Amino acid sequence: MGYEALDFYDVDSLLTDEERMIRDAVRDWVDESVIPKIENACREGVFLDEWRQDIGSMGILGAPLKGYGCPGLSYTAYGVICRELERGDSGIRSFASVQGSLAMYPIWDFGSEEQKEKYLPGMATGELIGCFGLTEPDYGSNPGDMVTKATEDGDGFVLNGAKMWITNGTIADLAIVWAKLDGVIRGFIVEKGDPGFSAPEMKGKHSLKASVTSELVFQDCRIPKDRILPGVKGLRGPFSCLNNARFGISWGAIGSAQACYDSAKSYALSRIQFDHPIAAYQLVQNKLAWMLREITKGQLLAYHLGKKKDAGEWIPEHISLAKMNNVDIALEIARVSRDIHGANGILDEYPVMRHMANLESVKTYEGTHDIHNLILGRHITGIQAFTKGA
Amino acid sequence: MKVAVLIKQVPDTTAKVGITSGSVDEGAISKWSISPYDEYALESALSLQSGSGATVVAITLGPERSSKSLIDAAAVGADELLHVVHDGGLGSLSLQKALSEAVTRVGAEVVLVGKQAADTNSGSTGPGVAKMLNYSCVGLVSRIEAGSDGFEATRSTPSGMERVSVKLPCVFAFDKGDVELRRPNVRGIMMAKKKPIEKISLADLGVDNTGEGVSTTSVDYPPEKPEGQRFEGADAAAEVAVKLREEANVI
Repeated sequence: MGYEALDFYDVDSLLTDEERMIRDAVRDWVDESVIPKIENACREGVFLDEWRQDIGSMGILGAPLKGYGCPGLSYTAYGVICRELERGDSGIRSFASVQGSLAMYPIWDFGSEEQKEKYLPGMATGELIGCFGLTEPDYGSNPGDMVTKATEDGDGFVLNGAKMWITNGTIADLAIVWAKLDGVIRGFIVEKGDPGFSAPEMKGKHSLKASVTSELVFQDCRIPKDRILPGVKGLRGPFSCLNNARFGISWGAIGSAQACYDSAKSYALSRIQFDHPIAAYQLVQNKLAWMLREITKGQLLAYHLGKKKDAGEWIPEHISLAKMNNVDIALEIARVSRDIHGANGILDEYPVMRHMANLESVKTYEGTHDIHNLILGRHITGIQAFTKGA
Repeated sequence: MKVAVLIKQVPDTTAKVGITSGSVDEGAISKWSISPYDEYALESALSLQSGSGATVVAITLGPERSSKSLIDAAAVGADELLHVVHDGGLGSLSLQKALSEAVTRVGAEVVLVGKQAADTNSGSTGPGVAKMLNYSCVGLVSRIEAGSDGFEATRSTPSGMERVSVKLPCVFAFDKGDVELRRPNVRGIMMAKKKPIEKISLADLGVDNTGEGVSTTSVDYPPEKPEGQRFEGADAAAEVAVKLREEANVI
C-alpha cells in the first residue's frame, strides 16, 4: 500500500503552490529512490552516491539561500523538503541538512566573495560535498571549550585537533572547521587533500546507518590564508548554522513520525488477532489517536515556525522548542508504532525500528533534548543552568 | 518545429474515486494528475526539445483546476501552455474538434498524446484529432525519433515491436514509453510559476458543444471480485494445480 502522509488539519493547504509542487517532487523521489533501497543501504552502512546526485539535480540543497546557484526558496519550503526526506530516512535528511545549513550557510553568510563563488555553485548541485566540524570527543554540549587550535604561520594557518560525530566527513570535499585562533573561535574551510587532514569513518553505529559519520583529524594541517571565514567570530558562527539545521530537523522529525504512523495504521488494520483487526481494539485506537494528536500539533508548530523564520521574527528559543518537541514526539511515536507492529516491528520489512534508532541520534545531535530544555529554562527564568556556578 | 502535447488531467491513480447517481463525484477526489500515457507523450516531446530544438506546447482541455497539469508540464520544461477551459461533459467530436483547432492555433505539425486517458479509457482522442486535422496517426507508440523529413516510431504489435516511418504532419498516440517522465527540479518549478497560461474557451476556437459523437451516459463501479478460494493441506495440491491451470490460466 502506498504512503499516505497524515495531515489531519490539512496544514499543507497553507503552503504555496510551489511549496506543494516541491513537496510532491521530493516525496515521489523518496518513494522511487529511497524506500526501495534504504534497508539494504542500512545493512551495508552506506550512503548511496546516487542519492547525492539525485538530491543535487533536484536543486534542493541550500534551499533557503539566494544567489551563487542556490535555490532561493523560503524557509518553509526548506522545512517541507526536510520533512519529505526524513520520511524516507533521517540519514538522507542529515545529508541535506549538513550540506545546506551547516556547510553552505556559513560560506554564504560569513564567507568572502571569492569563497562564495568558489564553493557555493558546486555545493548547490551536490558536486561538492561539505561537512561541519564543531563537536570534539570531549566537547559536545559545551563547544565553547573546544581545544582545536589554529595558529598563523607565514602565509597560512596551521590547524591541530580533532572533531567527532561529523556527518558526511569521509565523503566531503570540504569541511567547515571551527577552531580557536588566539583564543577566539573562527571558521576555516579545509579541503580534502590538505596536508595533515584526514577524515576516518566511524563504524559500528546502530543508528543513522545510511549516513556517513566521521572523525576529522588535523595534525599540523596547513591551509592558505584565504580559507578563514572573514565574517564571524565566536560561537555566534556555529550557532547560526545550528539554528538553521535545527529548524530543518523540527520539520524532518514530523516526516519520520508520519512514516511510523502510516505503517502502524496499515499494520493495525490488516493484522488479525482474536478474529478482528487489532485496529478494532480500544488500546490500539488510543495509541493511533495519540499519534495523530501529536503529529498534528507538531505540524502546526513546524509550520508556524516556518512562517516566523520567513518573516525574520524568530528567536533561537523558538527553534529549540520545535526541535526538542518534534523529535521527542517522533521518537515516542516510533516506539509506540513498533509496539503496535508487535514482533514484526523489529524487522526491516517495516520502517519503524529504523526510524526509531535514527531518532535516538536526532534527539541528541544539534543540541540535545536536555540542552534545549535548558535554553528554554534560561529564557523563562533569566538564569542559565548549563554550568554549575564557580 | 512545434510539438503539441495533449494533456488530460485525471484522478491520480492513488485517489479514491466515488460515484454519485451515475457520475464520478469529482469534488471528492483528493488528487489530480496528468494521465500516465500523456506523461510518456510529454517526456518524448521534451526529448525532441533537447534533441532537435523543438518548441513544446502543452495543451489541455478541462475545468479551471486542469491548469495545474499545465504548470506541472511547464515545471519539467514545456515552453508554451494553452488551456481550453471547459467544465462539464463534452461530446467526443466536439472535444476532438476543439483540440484540433487548438493544435492549428499553436501551429504544431506534430501532436503527441497518450493512447487513452486513465479515467475514461476511451482511446479516441489521438485518432480523432488526426482525422480532423488530416494528419497521419500512429498508435501504441513507445518511442519516436526525428529523421530528416519525418519520424521513426517504435510501436508494439501482438507479435513484437514494429518500427514505422511517418512524414509530417502527424499524431502519435503513446503507449507505455521507454522513458518515464522526468521529475521536476526546483528551478523548473520556480520557472513554471512565471510561465503564462493562455486560457481560451470553446467559443474562441469556434466550437459548439453539440454533444455530437460519443458522450458518457453513466458510470458504475466495476463488479466486485468473487471471493477467493481457500485450500488446506497437501492433499489439495492436485486440485489447486488443476485450478491454476484451467481457471486462473497462470501455469
